[in-house]
Amino acid sequence: MVKRKEREIKDIYVIVLALFAAFLAIPVVRLLVESFVEEAGIGLAYYSEVLTERGFTKALANSVTVSLASALLATVLAFILAYSIQYTNLNRKYKSVIRTLAVLPMLLPTITYGFAIIYSFGKQGLLTRLFGVQLFDIYGFNGLLFGYVIYTLPISFMLIHNTMGFIDKKFMVVSRVMGDSNIATFLQTVMRPLLGTLAASMVQCFFLCFTDYGIPASVGGEYDVVATVLYNEMLGSIPNFNRGAVVAVMMLIPSVISILLLHYLERYNVRYNKISTIEFRKNYLRDGVFGTLSGLILLVMLSIFAVIFVVPLVQEWPYQTAFTLEHVKSVLEDNSLFGVHENSIFVAAATAVAGLLVTYGAALASARSSLNGKLKSVIDSIALVTNTIPGMVIGIAFMLIFTGTPLQNTFWLIILCNVVHFFSTPYLMMKNSLSKLNSSWETTASLMGDNWIKTIVRIVTPNMTSTILEVFSYYFVNAMVTVSAVIFIAGARTMVITTKIKELQYYTKFNEIFVLSLLILFTNLIVKGVLSLVIRKTERKK
Amino acid sequence: MLELRNIKKSYDGVTILKDINLKIEDGEIVSILGPSGCGKTTLLNLILGLTDADQGQIIFDGKDITNVPMEKRGFNIVFQDYALFPNLNVYKNITYGLKNKPDISSREEVEDFIELLGLKPHLEKKIEQLSGGQKQRVALARTMVMKPKILLLDEPLSALDGVIKESIKQKIKQIARDYHLTTIIVTHDPEEALTLSDKVMIVNEGGISQFGAPEEIIASPRNNFVKEFILNQLEIKKNNIFSLFQREMAAQAV
Repeated sequence: MVKRKEREIKDIYVIVLALFAAFLAIPVVRLLVESFVEEAGIGLAYYSEVLTERGFTKALANSVTVSLASALLATVLAFILAYSIQYTNLNRKYKSVIRTLAVLPMLLPTITYGFAIIYSFGKQGLLTRLFGVQLFDIYGFNGLLFGYVIYTLPISFMLIHNTMGFIDKKFMVVSRVMGDSNIATFLQTVMRPLLGTLAASMVQCFFLCFTDYGIPASVGGEYDVVATVLYNEMLGSIPNFNRGAVVAVMMLIPSVISILLLHYLERYNVRYNKISTIEFRKNYLRDGVFGTLSGLILLVMLSIFAVIFVVPLVQEWPYQTAFTLEHVKSVLEDNSLFGVHENSIFVAAATAVAGLLVTYGAALASARSSLNGKLKSVIDSIALVTNTIPGMVIGIAFMLIFTGTPLQNTFWLIILCNVVHFFSTPYLMMKNSLSKLNSSWETTASLMGDNWIKTIVRIVTPNMTSTILEVFSYYFVNAMVTVSAVIFIAGARTMVITTKIKELQYYTKFNEIFVLSLLILFTNLIVKGVLSLVIRKTERKK
Repeated sequence: MLELRNIKKSYDGVTILKDINLKIEDGEIVSILGPSGCGKTTLLNLILGLTDADQGQIIFDGKDITNVPMEKRGFNIVFQDYALFPNLNVYKNITYGLKNKPDISSREEVEDFIELLGLKPHLEKKIEQLSGGQKQRVALARTMVMKPKILLLDEPLSALDGVIKESIKQKIKQIARDYHLTTIIVTHDPEEALTLSDKVMIVNEGGISQFGAPEEIIASPRNNFVKEFILNQLEIKKNNIFSLFQREMAAQAV
């Protein structure tokens, strides 16, 4: 329809497609091939071998059970936190504390939670010593459940909190003046519009638990899950890539199903034309109950995180508990440890910059060009696919295809892997913001003599500042904490903190593990803090 | 003079415009009037060069510009939502095009546009601080700085309320007169079209229902559509206002 030539946007489109062909499609196809190719030809031998094994079916059942339980628990807890913020008259400061703490776990790698749980609830754990008795056995189901819930709580919270914010609260008044009982009002005006999101939260949490490697790596114990089986097949004592590929495919299937389910659930989202807030009825019981519950949830979470601070700052946990900075110092002085921190920062920053360019380009092509609708939907499909593929699967696919190439053991491989792996969310953020911008800007600017690039630089980008910074922050933080994909492609020279933590686990160097985790935490806090400050400033300026 | 010959346009097999023939003289204000979905915006986009015609020719000053791209035609448009750039202040919006074509308007000319449109007190303001009428005037100034050969206005008054509407109308008329500028306006409001323009083109179902001066249209509507939908609306408005003033006069008489 539009006549402008749009040479540039076509070039960008081609580059984006080529990137995903090389670093997503080809590796994943290679992985699929690996699972079918036998010595004698093509067949299902590896599948029947793996699937009939008691070990694998047990692990699959375990994975499903513990992921479902965690997803349910995380969603319930997240609902309580979000409800406390959106539907009570609790103090505003308290609400903002809840909001901040609820998403804190995102700033740490999952593998750290596992070790933190061991040091909290284990035989010599901080909380065990405080209570004088070990509350539950941490290795296996309990530990996994605990870890997964901490891991997925922030994601579930953000989903529910976000939807609750978009519910028109005036309907509560309507429901009440129509004579509904309290329960009916709650079901009709809170639960009903949230149903889709609650289900989506369950599915999303399930997917994250099912595909996470960090938590089972630390507290899995004898309770095998699919992720541990996969790791052992690929990097264990007797690696078997074919069988590993089969397990990877088996991990892919539930992921695909859950993402399709998520897509389907979108239609249950209720959209209000207008969002109005009301003054909530005075109800001290409600406020008290939710305030207390939220406080408890966050307290338990924080108590687990406390050990990350405590353990490395005492001489020798749990025997000599005098304060010392010795461990911190030795990590900072040991170049083999502090060096990986620099690596991590480099990888995270480069991922953020590269990811920014790729998502911006892709979103410009799909939201602000006159490209054919079918071509645009290819990019949307790529986003959907990257959302579907677990990090471990991408990592293994990369390992299979790039071993022996010049890319092997380079930071570029890790960076590209991260860019592809985390593409979906920032792409959608970009696309969403771009499509909200006035659709006549490009036409107007071109009538004023701009070429396309000029318009992007002078008009579009300045109006995208906050989204650009958010995308940067998303990529940075995720690249800092991810372990599942990089564990397969990080080499000796390209260690990042998370893979180093996994290595240190063999030598049971927990002080170092926690110091490195703290480095990740503080790096993320600083980056997020600075960026959100800048974002707030640009928003205020508008 | 702008001339459209046998213009046809369809999207996905649906005909939007069929066999449009039209001549617009230099310095005329012409309104394209019709109900929503009649094809009037498509017609505007065709003239602007944003959309390609399936068939037919567009001739401007004797030259065939059918295949000349938008930027090269030298026409300009003010969109219904103004499309002002929120990251730039009023002055920077107005002078946006000068960065690309520094010589297109002199400093004095820019000052004149600002003066004419009453924007002097607002130059340092952010776009969001402006009222609807002020935004419209900024968009007009920004476009005028580019010295368009034809000025296109897409529903220029529909987002404005009463009094401001009338003052913007005056400004549009004044600009067209002062600069002898051919101005083409798209609108769905008969009152607007008939009081603002030298000629009105009534479009219905992809074709031209009637093209003529306002007096002609009032005096001799060419078909039922013009009578039923265009004149009838004005009739109702006229009667409402008359009865309002009669009541007032009756009250004064008592």
